[in-house]
Amino acid sequence: MKTETAPEAPAVPPAAEPRPPARALPVWANPRLGLLIVIAVLVVLFSSLTPAFLDPRLTLAPLQADISVYVVVGLAQLAVLSLGHMNMAVGRMAALSTFAMGLAYDRLGVPLLVGLLVGLAVGAGIGALAGLLIAKTGVNSFVVTLALDFGLLGLVTILYTWATGGVSFAVQPSGLSALRFDTFADYCMGEVCGPRIPLVVPIAVAAALGVGLLFRHARLGREILMTGSNTVAAELSGIPTHRRVVAAHALSGLLAALAGFLLAANNGAFSANIGESFLLPSFLAPVLGGTLLAGGAVSVLGTALGATLTQVIYKGLNLLQFSLEELKLYIGLVLLAALSLDRLRAVLAERRAVSSS
Amino acid sequence: MSRRMLSRIGSGLTVVALATTTVACTKKSDTTDAEAGGREPAQVKVALVPGGSHPYFQPWKDAGAKAKTELALGDVTFNETAGWDQTKQNDVLKSLAAQGYNAFGVFGVSPDNINSTFEDLKRQGFPVGSLASCPAGANKADFCLSTDVEVAAYKGAKAAIDAMGGQGNLVHLTGNKVDSNTQRRIAGVEKAVAETGGKVTLLQSVTDIDKDLQSAQRAVADLLAAKGRQIQAIVNTAYNPAVASAEGVRQSKLPIKVIAIDDDPTVLDGLRGGSVAATVLQNPVGQAQVGSYALMKLSGGCTMAEPGVTIDSGSFVVTTDNLDGYEADRTSTTEALRKKFDGDLLKCS
Repeated sequence: MKTETAPEAPAVPPAAEPRPPARALPVWANPRLGLLIVIAVLVVLFSSLTPAFLDPRLTLAPLQADISVYVVVGLAQLAVLSLGHMNMAVGRMAALSTFAMGLAYDRLGVPLLVGLLVGLAVGAGIGALAGLLIAKTGVNSFVVTLALDFGLLGLVTILYTWATGGVSFAVQPSGLSALRFDTFADYCMGEVCGPRIPLVVPIAVAAALGVGLLFRHARLGREILMTGSNTVAAELSGIPTHRRVVAAHALSGLLAALAGFLLAANNGAFSANIGESFLLPSFLAPVLGGTLLAGGAVSVLGTALGATLTQVIYKGLNLLQFSLEELKLYIGLVLLAALSLDRLRAVLAERRAVSSS
Repeated sequence: MSRRMLSRIGSGLTVVALATTTVACTKKSDTTDAEAGGREPAQVKVALVPGGSHPYFQPWKDAGAKAKTELALGDVTFNETAGWDQTKQNDVLKSLAAQGYNAFGVFGVSPDNINSTFEDLKRQGFPVGSLASCPAGANKADFCLSTDVEVAAYKGAKAAIDAMGGQGNLVHLTGNKVDSNTQRRIAGVEKAVAETGGKVTLLQSVTDIDKDLQSAQRAVADLLAAKGRQIQAIVNTAYNPAVASAEGVRQSKLPIKVIAIDDDPTVLDGLRGGSVAATVLQNPVGQAQVGSYALMKLSGGCTMAEPGVTIDSGSFVVTTDNLDGYEADRTSTTEALRKKFDGDLLKCS
């Protein structure tokens, strides 16, 4: 599903001279296709270097589970990038929300879904608070969310020490272990079993579909994009921009909470270190996928492909047993090469469009 | 049909498909722990996986290589790419399993949730040893071969109390406060201080300063500036504070006795130069060698007499008096550990 969305351009008055009809860019110029090709090349490369890359149980299933987490992490950042904002507290929002989930499971013994909803509400609440501060004070989102990140870092540690005396809840709510270990291959209808896709994957797919539909078809999503594209114009068009800022940040918090839940499910524990490694990947996935840092245009499919690319690189290099320093160096180099190739493809496409017009 | 309609139909179908899959299907069978066993030594591939890069684990490399030769194992690898992140460590372990490694000696990044990782590995039939650190609560690995951190901290504090003449003020420098092992180290130091009957006061336990050397240096500088003249001894139960306090005390020329930890060259130089009064050594070589041996035995079909048992890998106080002979003590402890596994801890048919 292509979900790149930008506000529709206002109607242009007829020009004095008729413009030549705009040529559509060739299929290969689509940035998502570029990412898909890079991913495919890397998969072929890694599988030929180490056949273990195609091991369904030990490589492909965990890889899909990891991708699921980082797709949702990317979507959490995408929600505010749509405004041209940043959420530097994306990891700590996930940590606070998973604390709320862990507390609900541990103290109240609530079912898995109820605990998840509690965490999502906390995530959305803390996100909305960030949005409210940004909208009301006019302070840059970077500053507000960075300050929030520092505050939450301390708060999460204090809360875990208070509630657990450590850094993790020992509770394992019913169903968490299935989410962690099972794939659809473990569930059969008669003789027919499902594919080896971890149970967490549909949750991430549902989140991506939801965000895609929001920005593509819902009025709220379009108004958020319009606010990100040009706040003044949006206000003059009657869009309540402050409320849209709050809504986008609340969505970011909610998705951060969902990413925290998925990571807790993958790790099998609700712990204070959830979200520590979210910040960089949260930017990497949407930016690789073509979401603009300036706001006004997002790409959900691109974010999913961006997250897939980074996880494929990480998994492949890990399997090839690169040393710690080499791992960091080559992840950087491969990402740089991927971005350069994508840029080259875009430039070639633009030139071709210009020369043929 | 409009694209909007198509999108809606697509979303609806996805939801229905998911609901059908999860509700109408039956689970094949509950996965239970696969049994490890029946592997010849040459089929055993051991992965030694610390929580991240740290000088403490460097001896694991050579010890693992030595175990591979001596025990004729298929392979022994050392992978320190986890970067002190439990999620990354889980990923590293899965990647190693995919490459054919089938026995794991792991220093878990987070003692509070490493048990989930151990369960995960055991479900797949791999023997697992928790090396150099035990999980908080009941150990879900086959065994835990680690320094008894409370005993090691107690020995260090006793050495500090001896060095300061049995009276005065002591300061304890250590790592992450919310780590259960740090709490045990604090308990060990408090026990030694309590035994002095009030002659020694534990002035302060400074925590969370083992993240890196810079933060340890800053904390030591602040401590010496604020209370340097009241302190008679510093006992360290973490690596970075040990290096920072040896250096800080030497530069400040204060008459403070420093008890360090481990045998990093900086610490040994400090011991020889007099800026470190004693150091408490652990046994990383023994952990890797005996851990690999036990994993090989478990892979071959042996079982633990007491699953999850914790074994102290040993700790030794080293001063200038026994600086040249401590390695022999450590080697004999390692040998004794191996015999203990053969005699008491393993059940082999």
